[in-house]
Amino acid sequence: MEPLKKRTALAASWLLWLWLAAVIVGAFEYAPLAAKFIGQSSRILFFHVPMAWAAFTAFITAGVYSLRYLFGGRSQGSPRDPRHDRAARAAIELGLLFGVLATVTGAVWSRIMWGAYWNWDPRQTSIVMALIFYGAYLALRDAVEDAEKRARLAAAYAVLGLVVTPFFFFVVPRITFSLHPEPVINARGRVEMDPRMLQVLLASGAGFMALFFWLHDLRTRVLAVADRALEAAALGARPAAAANAAASSGATGPAPHLGELRAGADPATASQRTGNW
Amino acid sequence: MPPALSFAQVRRRFGRLAVLGGVSASVATGEVLLVTGRNGSGKSTLLRCLAGLLAPDSGTIDYSEDGAPMDAAARRRRIGLVAPDLAFYGELTAAENLAFFSRLRGIGRERGDELLRRLELPPDRPTAALSSGMRQRLRWAWALLHRPRLLLLDEPFQNLDAAGVAIVRRLLAEHLAPSPAAAGAPGLAVVANPVPLEIGSVAGNLDLGA
Amino acid sequence: MPAASAVSRPASTWVREAAAVFAKEWRSELRTRYALNTLALFAVNTLVVVSASLGPLGAAPGRSSETLPVLLWLILLFAAAAGLPRSFVHEEETQTATALRLAATPSALFCGKLAYALTLLAALEALVAPLFLAVMNLDVARPGLLVATLAAGGFGLAAGSTLVAAIIAQARGKGTLFAVLSFPVLLPLLLLAVELTRGAFAGGGPPGQGEQGGLGEAGVALMQLLLYDGAVTTAGLMLFPVVWNP
Repeated sequence: MEPLKKRTALAASWLLWLWLAAVIVGAFEYAPLAAKFIGQSSRILFFHVPMAWAAFTAFITAGVYSLRYLFGGRSQGSPRDPRHDRAARAAIELGLLFGVLATVTGAVWSRIMWGAYWNWDPRQTSIVMALIFYGAYLALRDAVEDAEKRARLAAAYAVLGLVVTPFFFFVVPRITFSLHPEPVINARGRVEMDPRMLQVLLASGAGFMALFFWLHDLRTRVLAVADRALEAAALGARPAAAANAAASSGATGPAPHLGELRAGADPATASQRTGNW
Repeated sequence: MPPALSFAQVRRRFGRLAVLGGVSASVATGEVLLVTGRNGSGKSTLLRCLAGLLAPDSGTIDYSEDGAPMDAAARRRRIGLVAPDLAFYGELTAAENLAFFSRLRGIGRERGDELLRRLELPPDRPTAALSSGMRQRLRWAWALLHRPRLLLLDEPFQNLDAAGVAIVRRLLAEHLAPSPAAAGAPGLAVVANPVPLEIGSVAGNLDLGA
Repeated sequence: MPAASAVSRPASTWVREAAAVFAKEWRSELRTRYALNTLALFAVNTLVVVSASLGPLGAAPGRSSETLPVLLWLILLFAAAAGLPRSFVHEEETQTATALRLAATPSALFCGKLAYALTLLAALEALVAPLFLAVMNLDVARPGLLVATLAAGGFGLAAGSTLVAAIIAQARGKGTLFAVLSFPVLLPLLLLAVELTRGAFAGGGPPGQGEQGGLGEAGVALMQLLLYDGAVTTAGLMLFPVVWNP
């Protein structure tokens, strides 16, 4: 990475940490307590809600990258771009992380407010369904050995998830109303919010989104490095073929006519290539 | 004559294993490219890439049909494959299998019946009950069913007795250079085998070594 | 783009391809009877277990319209998971998939397989639903709604299962992986189908809605179920070519 880019990235990440620190302080010192909440529990709002937003963003990001991987403009016959697949996977992993955190903080809050960790609030249920999806995606990836097939199948599943998830959001609220007739307090939406609370909430939201995108970038790069290591290991195991490829690419013009080409037929190098299998 | 099939720098790895390390060649109409090499050298992998069953990690494969590139549907029409891992529906007979694929491809039953006759396949025995040699003959019948332009043959004589080998040699010769009475343009073939085969019209040898 | 290869063949050949696949599936199935046996045995077994554990008097009358629809759909879901994926898994395991990949147009293949799954599921429902009603001593207040729910719900179940089966057929751990992948996808369908079935049994619409029950509520839910069916089928048509071919 060029020095300027590196310094900018470093400065940006410091800024992010300072911002989030300010949010934490602000959540406890600057924002007032909300009227309807027990004790200090409204502080959770400033973390639980942005985490859910981040998890939601992660899901959308994964869907978009999966679509780009599968259908993103490429010419007939050329391989798909693994960067999109890596980005989708990183988004799902982070979505799982933020989603679990959101669910846990939500459950703690629910316990304080209503005495139960779980009360079938539509948002609670929807987020858990999304989490199950993320987990299934990762289970699918683990079950496919070949890299190209793994990326393709996982991306297809992610897109299927994208298609099905909206149904969670407008089916579930109706269903849970019918299961449990008591009204559900949607504390996030309808409560009149003190302007200072709103400021901290939005600041926290921005911070968490930035955190998500920063972590996403980091994770995607880690995955890229891992893939490159694998490719290097593969190339290293066939030095003669690699040399041949380099030699052939040095020759200009169309592929040499058969009869002239002998890929890797040199007996001296044959012994080097038997180590793999 | 421009090559009807050419591929350049085709690479494929499975995990850490680089099976194909950048292979290139071209084949013109009426010619056979022979691909040889030890077990595990990537012959089958190359053929699967050419058939469109595997996507190469990098490299290009060009099937120029009159200069125009082919899409997946055209590939399905133009390519025939014989390979050891090709299997058919065990509970259906050879005739039923060929009839199914004929329907899929939108061609009449006559070609399937003709191939059954020429390859001397028992039409009414369930495929699961066929001997390995008969199964190989069925693979040939399936590959030639739709009169493909490009034949990809992976160990084409495997399990065949002398009579079977003679029959398929004749079929291959007809594929490469059809007689004026027969329909169709001349085809080309890529043949993969551990050791070199005596086949007419071999215009080149790609040895994957190792 | 996946749509391109479907467009390049005229519609009539496409339909013929799908019909050929459908016919082949049934011809094979009738010779081996594997899927039919699996579905029937599994469904009946589960039904017996459920009714036996509920006891001779069945569920308490007040609760029955709440819990029994869930049980019905769970039986259907698990039976489908046991019997439907084989359509693709068997092709990959016996390596007949290679020949199909080289000969069939993907979208036509998907439709043929989907049609096969639909007919299997229809047969399953025709077996299970009457048995269930008989064994549980249920009166159906709105039989038309029940039939509509079984049809729409069965369609979605088949469509979702077919696409997921195509995905897991190329992976390891196929049996459990199918359950892991398909249940999140099928959950909205399950919820809607249960709600509608509840309405069909009890008659008065979902409990807790008060006087808002009746055709209006059920109509909304049915619309959403049909929307789900359409969405999953469209996703299947678009995604299958990508899943099937590299």
